[in-house]
Amino acid sequence: MQTWKEFDANIVTHSAAHHLMAIDDLVRRLGYARVSDVARQLNITRGSVSITLQPLKKAGLVLQDENRHLRLSPAGQKLVDGIKTKRHVIQRLLSELFGVDGQQAEIDACKLEHLVSNETARRMISFLAFLDSDRPAATEFLRQWGSFDLSCSQ
Amino acid sequence: MEDHVSGLSDSEVVVELNRLFAEEVEAAIRYLHLANAVRGVEQLIAGPKLREGFHETIRHAEIIARKIRELGAVPSLQLSLSLPATRLGAKEAFETALTFEEAALEAYQDLLKRVAGNVALEEFIRSQVAIESEHVAELKQLLAD
Repeated sequence: MQTWKEFDANIVTHSAAHHLMAIDDLVRRLGYARVSDVARQLNITRGSVSITLQPLKKAGLVLQDENRHLRLSPAGQKLVDGIKTKRHVIQRLLSELFGVDGQQAEIDACKLEHLVSNETARRMISFLAFLDSDRPAATEFLRQWGSFDLSCSQ
Repeated sequence: MEDHVSGLSDSEVVVELNRLFAEEVEAAIRYLHLANAVRGVEQLIAGPKLREGFHETIRHAEIIARKIRELGAVPSLQLSLSLPATRLGAKEAFETALTFEEAALEAYQDLLKRVAGNVALEEFIRSQVAIESEHVAELKQLLAD
């Protein structure tokens, strides 16, 4: 599939990712999540939440019981855990390695977290693990990178 | 001003009414979009019903806005809406309408529990619950066969 088509076919849109993470957060904090709770957390209407959740329910990522309480299926939970990990990794790379301002790094990580493939995320984690290690090569890399100052104009 | 009967202050009631206002305005926009997203022969069947939904939900929004004004406030509205240029079948459009109508019904039902004791507001919300229940039942009937 062409990349742009794959992008469009992704069921976990930016909005959907936030809905899934809101359910995860509410269940952790309150022990339950209703459509109204998700709507309040995301500051949108219940109608909007219900419509966004429809394809996620059909895909088996979100479950709703007879009391209309929402929870993530094991597949949904795995997806959310993956998104959270990717957000953390991207945020670290942007802020700690690239020197992007913390708030901007958080915003950009939020935009990318649901789009990065697992394979790329794994390589990013390996790279961070390398930088965190006490290998002389990692220390030297960070030293060289820190002193490298090539602006876009150059 | 505190409404000791229902336990909600006027400002809290305004917050709740603003939420309902947003539900109704957004539902109206969705109805308008759905009415135009259904094309071809199916437009003949679904178009009038969906336009009727648009007019009715806008009327509900106006009633809620009036209730907010009666409490001395100005309605506030914040919507986050993106409606794709995708053709829909009548069934799909009615299913979408059912989803947001059910959400609106639940919103009224929840508020009804919270305003118990405030006769005027309770009466208003109760009548809205009845109307929304009818909408939901009607849509379910349309989708039944």
